[in-house]
This record gives sequence, C-alpha cells and structure tokens, in this order.
Amino acid sequence: MPQPASIEPLHPTAQNLTAPPGGLSSYPPLERWADWEEYDPQAWPRRVDRRYQLVPTICFNCEAACGLLAYVDKDRLTIQKFEGNPEHPGSRGRNCAKGPATLNQVEDPERIRHPLRRVGPRGGGQWERVSWDQALDDIAARVRKALVEGRRNEVMYHVGRPGHELVYHQRIMHAWGIDGHNSHTNVCSASARAGYAFWSGLDRPSPDHANARFILLLSSHLETGHYFNPHAQRIIEGKKRGAKVCAIDTRLSNTASMADWWLSPWPGTEAALLLAMCQLIIAERRYDRDFLRRWVNWAEYLREEHPDKPQTFEAFEAILPTLYAEFTPAFAERESGVPAATIEEVAREAAHAGSALATHVWRNAAAGNLGGWQVARALQLLVVLVGAVATPGGTAPSFYNKAIPAPPLMPPPAKVWSELLYPPEYPLAFFEMSFLLPHLLKEGRGRVDTYFTRVYNPVWTNPDGFSWIEMLTDEAKVGLHACLTPVWSETAWFADYVLPMGHASERHDLMSQETHAARWIGFRQPVLRVVLESQGKRFATTWEAHAAAGLGEVWEEDEFWIELSWRIDPDGALGIRKWFESPYRPGEKLTIDDFYGWMFERSVPGLPEAAAREGLTPLGYMRQRGAFLIEDGVYRTHETALAPAALDGGTVDPATGVITKSGAAVGVEVDGRAYVGFPTPSRKLEFYSKTLRDWKWPEYALPAYIRSHVHWSGMDRQKNEFLLLPTFRLPTLIHTRSGNAKWLYEISHSNPLWLHPKDAARLGVATNDLLKIHTEIGWFVDKVWVTESIRPGIIACSHHLGRWRLSEEQGGERWSTALVRLERPGPGQWRLRYLHGIRPFPSEDPDSQRVFWEDAGVHQNLTFSVQPDPVSGQQCWHQKIRAERPGGDDRYGDVFVDTTKAHEVYRRWLAMARPAPGPGNLRRPLWLPRAYKPDPSTYRMGS
Amino acid sequence: MRYGFVIDQTRCIGCHACTVACKEENRVPLGTFRTWVKYVEKGEFPNTRRHFAVLRCNHCDNAPCVTICPTVALYRRPDGIVDFDRDRCIGCKSCMQACPYDALYMDPDTHTAAKCHFCAHRVERGLEPACVIVCPERAILTGDLDDPESEVARVIAREQVAVRKPEQGTRPKLFYVGADQATLAPTLQHVPGATLWGQRADEPVSLAALAGGWQPPRSAAATPKPVEALGRVVYDAPHEPRPWGWRVAAYLWTKSVAAGAALAAAAGALGGASAATGLHVPLVALVFLLLTAGLLIVDLKRPDRFHYLLLRPNPRSWLVLGAWILLAFGAVLGVFVVAAGAGAATVTAVLAGPLVILALGAAGYSAFLFGQAEGRDFWQSPLVLPHLLVSAVTAGAAVALLLTPPSAALRGLLLVGLGLGFLLVLAECYTPHPNTDAGAAARIITEGRLSRLFWGGVVAVGTVIPALLLIPASGAAAALAGLLALVGLYLWEDCWVRAGQAVPLS
Repeated sequence: MPQPASIEPLHPTAQNLTAPPGGLSSYPPLERWADWEEYDPQAWPRRVDRRYQLVPTICFNCEAACGLLAYVDKDRLTIQKFEGNPEHPGSRGRNCAKGPATLNQVEDPERIRHPLRRVGPRGGGQWERVSWDQALDDIAARVRKALVEGRRNEVMYHVGRPGHELVYHQRIMHAWGIDGHNSHTNVCSASARAGYAFWSGLDRPSPDHANARFILLLSSHLETGHYFNPHAQRIIEGKKRGAKVCAIDTRLSNTASMADWWLSPWPGTEAALLLAMCQLIIAERRYDRDFLRRWVNWAEYLREEHPDKPQTFEAFEAILPTLYAEFTPAFAERESGVPAATIEEVAREAAHAGSALATHVWRNAAAGNLGGWQVARALQLLVVLVGAVATPGGTAPSFYNKAIPAPPLMPPPAKVWSELLYPPEYPLAFFEMSFLLPHLLKEGRGRVDTYFTRVYNPVWTNPDGFSWIEMLTDEAKVGLHACLTPVWSETAWFADYVLPMGHASERHDLMSQETHAARWIGFRQPVLRVVLESQGKRFATTWEAHAAAGLGEVWEEDEFWIELSWRIDPDGALGIRKWFESPYRPGEKLTIDDFYGWMFERSVPGLPEAAAREGLTPLGYMRQRGAFLIEDGVYRTHETALAPAALDGGTVDPATGVITKSGAAVGVEVDGRAYVGFPTPSRKLEFYSKTLRDWKWPEYALPAYIRSHVHWSGMDRQKNEFLLLPTFRLPTLIHTRSGNAKWLYEISHSNPLWLHPKDAARLGVATNDLLKIHTEIGWFVDKVWVTESIRPGIIACSHHLGRWRLSEEQGGERWSTALVRLERPGPGQWRLRYLHGIRPFPSEDPDSQRVFWEDAGVHQNLTFSVQPDPVSGQQCWHQKIRAERPGGDDRYGDVFVDTTKAHEVYRRWLAMARPAPGPGNLRRPLWLPRAYKPDPSTYRMGS
Repeated sequence: MRYGFVIDQTRCIGCHACTVACKEENRVPLGTFRTWVKYVEKGEFPNTRRHFAVLRCNHCDNAPCVTICPTVALYRRPDGIVDFDRDRCIGCKSCMQACPYDALYMDPDTHTAAKCHFCAHRVERGLEPACVIVCPERAILTGDLDDPESEVARVIAREQVAVRKPEQGTRPKLFYVGADQATLAPTLQHVPGATLWGQRADEPVSLAALAGGWQPPRSAAATPKPVEALGRVVYDAPHEPRPWGWRVAAYLWTKSVAAGAALAAAAGALGGASAATGLHVPLVALVFLLLTAGLLIVDLKRPDRFHYLLLRPNPRSWLVLGAWILLAFGAVLGVFVVAAGAGAATVTAVLAGPLVILALGAAGYSAFLFGQAEGRDFWQSPLVLPHLLVSAVTAGAAVALLLTPPSAALRGLLLVGLGLGFLLVLAECYTPHPNTDAGAAARIITEGRLSRLFWGGVVAVGTVIPALLLIPASGAAAALAGLLALVGLYLWEDCWVRAGQAVPLS
C-alpha cells in the first residue's frame, strides 16, 4: 500500500496549499470584528472572499441569554451565520443547537413581515396589512380611553419569553399607572420559586457546578432548562474535575444518561426521597453545625413552636432528628420506588460533598405535582444542612449572581392591584395566576379591554387551551388583542393585531442570568441596524432599518412601548409621557441609545472604566462586545458586612437580631456582627416559615412531603390508569418558538407516548401503534414509543410538539404545524382533527420542498384542566389518565375537550385554596417577592 | 501535517449543536447531514442509559472515496483533510459506496457529492471547524496529529481511543474517547421503526438481526431482549439507503450481453463461421455496449459532466479505467461490425483476438470497480471476477442461441455457463464470509427481503428451467432457454447490487 501522504494530490487546490501559521483559533480576533474576511463556504474550494462585520447579540430561544456573534455580510446586508460570542461570560462562545438555528428564524420564509389587522370576526382568518402608524394610533387611543376612564385593570400585558423585563418593563406598566403585567411563570416555575423563596426570599437557585463535588439535579440541564448551555458546560466541567452527578428524573433524560446515578421515582414522591436523604444526614450528624447555627432561623422556630424549651441551638439540635424520623430510606423506597440503598448512597455522597453541593430544581417535579413547591424546599434543606449556600461549588440564591442595572426615570409603583392577576384565593402565588384568566373572566371577575400578548402562546402552551379560544373570541371579555410576535401562532390567530417583533438579532434587550457564581450583563441588539448605522446611515426606528435591509417592517418592543406611550399621552397631560423622555434632552423622545447609554454609563459598575480603557463609550463597548462581566467568583453574599452608614440610625431587635432602618429590615446581627443576610423577614434562611403558618398553612411551616394529586395509591392499574408525565423538553426545541427552525424540526418532530414494555404488552400495543389517552376533561390520540427509559405505570410525553394551524397558507409555520379542523359538536365541546400533517411547500427557500417528515406531534395540553397548586399557584401538570386502544373513528392527533367540565375542575381546585386576607388584612405578605410590586397601600384588602 | 478529530463521548451530551452549526456554516440542505449524533440505548429499566456518538467523515489517510472518485472531485490535501470539489463531481455516487462510514450524500441542489470537509475554508483562515467551536462541552477537538504536543495527539496518546471499522484499513483520523461500541458498530444495533422524537426517513434495517445470533422480538409490543452489548438505535439521521438502483444492475447485465455477444462473434470469426454468427451477433454486442454506456451516463446525477471521466480523470479509479476499456472495446467492436457487414472475413479474423481480450476486460473490470467500493463488503468477494466472466459467456451463448441455429455446442456452452454461474452464486451466498456485513448481505438474498426474487427468479426461472429446456434438442426450447438465462442473469445482478447496499454502513 502506498504511503498516502506521499501521493501527489491531483486536485489543483490541494497542490497549492499553505497551512495557517500558528495553528487554529476558535474565533476571529476581536480587533478584526469590524472587518473580517472569510471564504465563501458554498464557492469552496474556489477561494471567494466574503466581507463581514461581526456584531454580537443574544440568543432569544431559551432564557439562558447565551451570546451570539452575527456575521453580517457587508455587501449583501444579510446575516450569513451566528456563532457563539467568546466575550460572553455565561456561554463563553459556545451554543446549543438552538443558537445557530437562529438563522432559520431570521431567514424563515413563513415569518410575518408587516403589521396585520384582522378583517371580519376574530379568529376568522382574514387579515389586512396596516402601517405601524395605524396600529399604534388605534391601540394608543384605546389604552388612553381606559386609563382616562379609570379602567386601569383592563389593560394587560402578557409575556411568554421575557427578554427585556424586570424593572425595564415595570417602568412602562408603572408609568401607565397600571397593575398589568402577566407572565407565563405559573405554568412553568411557580412551585420551584415558592420553595426557594420561602427559604431565602430569592426565588431561583444558582448552582456553582464547575466547582462542585456533588451535583444533584432534579432537572435535565445537560439538554434543556434554565440555563441549559451555560449550566451544561459547567456540569461537565465539574464532572471532569471529579464531581459525581445524580439525576432524579422519572424518565431517562440525556442528563440522567450522563449521570453517575439515575433515580427514577414515581413522580411526586421526590420530596420524600430528598427528606430521607436529609434525615440520614441529620441522624448521622453530618450537617454543618456552625452554618445552621448562624444562618438558619432555628431561634424563630423555637420561639414560635417550642416556647417552653430552652431557646438554644442545642435544644433545636435535639428536636431536629425527631422532625423527619418517619423519612427512613425504607419509607422513601416504598413511596418512590427508588431502592433504599441507593438513597443512602446518594445522601452520603451529598454529605461528603459538604459545602460543594450544587443542586437544581426548576420545573420537573416541582411543576408537575400538587405540593411541588415542597420538593424545592426539601432540596434546599439538603443544601442548607451541608452548608452549601452560596459557597464555592454550592448553590446560591439567584440574585446574588444577577445584575439588574437601574434604568433612567423609574416611575413610582402603581396604586392599583389587579385581582385578575392576583386573585385573593392565592395570596402566596408565584406569581400571576395567568392560566386561570379564562375562568376568572367566565366567573365575571372582570374584563380585559386591551390585551397585549408578547411571544406568548397560551392557546397552545397553557392547559385547557380551548377555554382560551372561547375567551379570546368573546369580544365582551377581551376588547382588543394585540399579539406581539415574530411568527404565527395558535394564539396570534385570535388577535386583532399581529405585530411583527424581531428575533434574537433584531431587537434590543439587556440580559443577565445567574448562570454561575458571577454577575454579568449581555446586550441583545438588532445587528442589521448596527451594521447599517456603522455604514453611516441613520434610522429613527429599528423597523425602518429592517425595511431598508429587506427584512420587512419588523420592529422591537423597546421602541414600540416608547412610541405607544407617547401616543397615549401626546401632550403629557396624563403624566405618562415624561417617563419616556430623554434623560439627556428634556422634553424629547427617549431613544434606544439614550436608554441603554444612560444605564451603561451609570448603572453598571466597572463598565465605564473598561470602556474608557478601550477608548470607547460604555454603549460603544457593549455594541462591540455584547457582554460585560461585572464580578466573578461571587460567593457568600449574605455575609456581606453592613456598612456603618447603613447601620446608622438603624435598630437591632434584641430577640431576633434583625436590623431595621426606616421601617425596613436591612440586615441581621450574627455572633455580634452585622450582615446583610437574606431578604426574608428573619433575614436568615427560613427553615421555619412563619409566613406559611400565618397565612393558614401551619402544617407546611417546615419543609414537608405532600402526597401529589397523582400519587400511585390513586391509580388502578387494572383499569389501565396511568400517570401521564407531560412536561419534558427536547434538547433541540423550545416550547412554541422553534417551529420556524427547520434544522431543529428536521431532527425532532414527534412526541410519542413513552411506554414501558410491560405496560405496552398489557395494553397490546407496539411502537407506532395508536393509544387513546383520557384525561378528566377530554382525550387525545397519540402513537406509542415502547422504551426501557420510563418507569412502569408512567406514560411520558414531551410537551414540545403538536403544533397546528387552521388555514393552509397562513396562521402557522408549515415546517412544524399540522393543518387541523376545529369542530364544536355540542355546547362547550371541542374537537380537533388533523386534516393533514406536515407537507413540503413552495417558498423562496428550496428546503421547504424537501421536508421529509409528516408528523407534527400531538397537542396534549388542550386536554389538561387547570390544576393550580393552592399555595404556589403553579399549574400541577401531571395527569391521572386512562389509556385504551383507539376505536373506529379515532385518528392520530385527535383531541376532544369539554370546557364545561374544565370549568368544574377549576372550581374544585379553587376550593382547595386558602384565601386572603392574611395578617393585617393583607392580600399578600409584603415581604414576599411579587412581579412589579404595586404601592404597599394596595396590599390591604378593600383598599 | 495531518489534521484530525478527537471526539470525546465522555463529554458529549448529545445536544446536536454540532449538527446544526455544521448545517448553518455549510448550508447543508434538509434531509442531508455532514455530521450527526446517533443515540443508542442499552439495558433494561432502571439499568439503562442512552449513549451518543457524533458521526461524520473520518478523513481517512487511506480514503476509499478518494481512490474511487473518477474525476478527483474528492481529494486528500497535504494537511490530511479529505476535501471535495462540487465543480468536478459527476454524481456517480461511487464515493457513497466506497466510504464505510456513511459520510457522503448527494447535494439535492447541485446533484453532486458532499460531506464533512473539516471546514477547510475556515481552516485556511486559521479557524477551527464550526462544530468544534459551537460544542458546549468542548467534546470535539482538532489539531495536527503529527505534532506530538497538539491536544489531539496528547489525548490519543493518553486516553483509550477507538476508531470506526479499523478492519477496513482506511486509517481514519477521527478518534473517539469513551464511545460505547454499540454506537460505532452497526452490527450491535437494533433499529426500531421510529426514533424517540421523530419519524424514520428510511426503512429500518437491524444489522444485529441480519448478522445472526440475535432475534428481534416476535411480539412487536416488546423492546428486544437486550443481549450483552446490543443497543437500540433511538435516534439517527436519515441516510440515502441505496445510492445505486436498477440502472447499475442493468449496466452490469447489458455489459455482460455486449461482452458475451462479442465473444461469440469473435469465436465465429476465428472459426471461419462468420456466416453463422453473421452480422446479428456483433451488432447485438454493439447495441448492448451503447446501452451500457447510456445507462452509465443516465445514472450519473450530473450526466452533463460525463466527459469529465475522460478530461479530468483519476487514473486510480476503476470507473476511469473501465471507461477506457469500454471505449477501446467499442472502437474495436465498431470496426468489427463494419467489417462483418462488409463480409471482410480477414479483418474480422484479425480483430477477433483483440476483441476477445477487450470483451473479457469489459466484462470483468467491474469486479475491480466494485472492489473499490470498500464500504460494501459483499462486493469484495474474489468470486466477482470469475462470476462476471462466466456471466458474459452465458450471455454470449444465450444471445447466439437466440440469433443462430442452436447447435449442440452452443446448448452445451449455455448449460456449462448456467452451471458454473449457479455454482458461483451458491458460493457467493453460502461460502463462509469474511465479515458480518458480507454475511448479512448474503442472508438478505437467501433468507431475507430478496429471497423470493432469488429463489423464484434467479434459481428457478433463470437457472433450473433453462437448464431443463436445453436437454431436448429443440430450437424453440433452446431459444426460450437463452431468453430465460438472460432474465436470470439480470435478476442476479439486481439481487447482488441491492443486497450489497442493504447493509447499513453506520
């Protein structure tokens, strides 16, 4: 055999080749981003140069806010590709599949390019093109009328994927004087938030995976979730440094596959499992004694519950083992199905990790189950016991690792409380009871005059979507629906205005996420506008820049809200306009550059100095690099000493050590020193929640195990009853927003029912056979995937698929939606039937003729009733279902629902709630986190 | 300088970022992939897990695709990258048969072959491939294998690494760390009728079952009982299952007929019996040779570039050598036909010798061509060459029987051809095979999807019945025997071409 290297290459390109000196690098050097040349990949091996400007932005798919680097072709004014942004501290230049798929979303031939207004009845599918001016004037007049007439609770903004949010959108709502922010949180993370917040006042975990010794995940962060890519990087980094990984997840996720232990409990028994681990650590006295003594509110517990006992830590230590005595490994095995020996092994591993225990729960068990918030609380108990709070390798409260730069011109909180968002039945909810809206309106609790939805698709995402259609098509309930969205959706179909907003590379946002033990900001920007403006062109609005670049009249929310606010209050008489004026040029309209420039100059520590070193303005620095690391290695923020100035004029409560100043708790004294502590009433970690006790849940004042609504004892296998686990995601998709990404749908386009072989044999079905799943309010028909990756007795089905549209040509991405027909066989009855699956279609993209998949999946969420947890307000997603082989008329994709029954189920769950008022006639504890907190005066009922 | 990949499956989380980043960088059309992630599950609940493997071109130092490519559209660069040039590709798809790793596909826009090319256009700008820089886990490494200080060289030196199909002798430059064998070896894979989140674009073929020793479950309701290392493929990218279709089988057949008829004509000329073979037989040879050339051209995805075979040839490719042989064969045959038509017996007698040699060359060269299709182990048998030659003789005898008075000698020759051919068929199917892929392909013929065609068509209609028909000295029966023998020859080529490609490469 000849030596290959010695063979003279026959191809001319190969004959003239010089290897690049100095090896290969991952990214073009920063100093050349403004002007970078690369060979055209499609002309290759002919060497055709293309010239790019590299502009950083932020991905808009999941919430992780990873950096992207757009390669904008300087001559064609198109985006050639997105790579990672090496300057981004969270994503470090790397992305998941959804990052590069952004290009599909930008180039999608199906996207909406102009504002549309409905013609004919709402949901009738007739649209006309309107100008932005027409849309803004119409909507502004309507909002103005509502505000002037004092109907301030009739304007509602409902957001799905928040980008720019938090205080930035709070500015707008509060400037308008409304309590109108609604979110997707309660179909997502309310229970996890509640569990964490009752502990620390901060509602998210921020694990330091990279430095952990043990990583315990009730999540699937190696494939999805907040914050998938940044966390997945650091989990593997930790693993490679020797950390062990345990994944608790009923179905075998990719994460569980990579873990050292996979625990597959019966869903809803996770808290029992975790408390058994805690109990073992307590019984073996392997907890961090000093940390507990200093930072847990044991003293408050003794004071409130054991006033007769000595008020000492030793007395608490004597009680502690008795609190969880029933949670033996054997008990946990009976409950969960996980072997006791495994539970002990994992518990000892956690104890061994000590302060380097990184954990996470966000949706998974917390979102699936009644009492899911106690899962988060039990998990955090484990973290607290081993003293791993905000330590290297431990788990910090989220806000320690997040930066929220203050914007210019913050209006005072609105003096209004919306009971459509926070109904009195759910005083502790995290947060808005968003998914109950159709039922609340059905009960006559109010009306929405102007309803904005933004990148939000409740008809498809929320449980009981047909009730949403009933609500949206009833103009007496919803006066006007303006849908701000880059793409068609099931919800946009039922709008009056469909207003095209930009994707990741087409809008401004300031992002910061708790991806690791650091604080950073990322800057999303409309890259085509940035390039056009760097070429000397100027635009008043981003949509005009996009129109000039050939993208269409695609806008961004930042400018939309400023413009809308000006039109609501053109002369400033309502006191709204002043909040949307330039901080630099009084009386003039606030611009994007004003807004972000002001923040980058004044509210981001270190940024002005870093920019000055590069000879840039802070805004110029962010436009060039797209991200800034404010602080790295952020640990033990609660132990930050209170500055003497902060102490001045404060008082220390001798019993609790809480330091109060001007009526607000600002810190806590521990061992004679003043610290900021945690934002809880006790300023400590609240093992004992006086709040829960005072707000009518005394039985749950401590972390506890609540048997879920889908506990195994309620399932009759003989009747083919199963637990349906409908909550898992795929690594390649993101809810309702990736249907425009052909490269993602090409990989995944079905959501079959995962069924254990034993269950499949019992039901007499095989892979690809159909199965009919009966829920409490209807049924759906899906196909079966027989797998060893699911616990017997459980059926699992990803919620990422099952998209549909009602018109052949419009109303849904043809890459990802089935054409369906909706029928109303009787009052309150709805039937959805596939007319056809996904088909190749003609478009400017030749790939649209090459679509090879027909399957769009099955829309299961329609058949789920609302099941709000009475404490956290979380939709408890898991379903008790009955499975049967389909009958004669049943077809793949069929869905049937009775919304009258759905309302009955709502009433039943509502009855489980324990309504406000709480102490002091309050609607909600004042200290508890709440999105867009209104004025404290509104917290009193009857105020 | 030799660029290579290390893919660390102990870091890979199966996220498909590499897949999509590659599609974005190189604008890879839907349905085709330059790199993809295979998911394989093993074990039984709760002792089960999912394994991943990132699959793609191995940039072999001894790349069969480069050897077989007739127009140097595929080439190995001095830095070790195996690159391609869509402007030179004629779309013959032979590279897809030569590659044992399923790395190539036909670009539906350009109708030319494409694959991972190490992002050579980036490498020349000093940048790593797109898949490398996107990977959240830094699971894909690149570097110079010849530099002992490079990260890839150090990992290969220090870690347990594996390559796919080392027995193919291709010397791959993609090294896996921590890959489960079941993800790399198709013989250890059972393929269900769907993926865990999608449809299968192609028909599932379970090589594990074909390879023997393992039975898929009778009841479709059960997942297969796990046997030792066996894995279930729960996600795989779609692959074009059979690059070569009926045209290639037909080309082999028309070529046999052309060669056989030429042999008969030459024998006639040498035996002074040109009157007996007359003009018909050489004319048939010429017509079938033209058909052969026509089939070759229409099977190209870029028939407009057929002439690249001659103008931009890769002299190591048997497609090129074969084209030259066919060209020479055609030239001599053409003159022979003219001479036969003119009754120039001296000329035909002089041409008979070269004609025999070229006819045998035309008949037999395909053995070397299919031998260069290194991905298809079934086609690597040493029996292919004798078989092709025997087929030509059989076809020649059959044509002669149809066109000339059926002499006993011709009947005998056809009988011998049928007999030898049958023995060779049996030998190809039943003698021990060098590896599981070849054995699996043979079983597809004898027991699998092709068994009815094989036993009913090749054996009964194409062999046994014509043999019986040759026993009586009847002209009509002999003619029918000749016809059926030709049918049998075609059906065998069809079985052989299909079975060779029925075994999954990845």
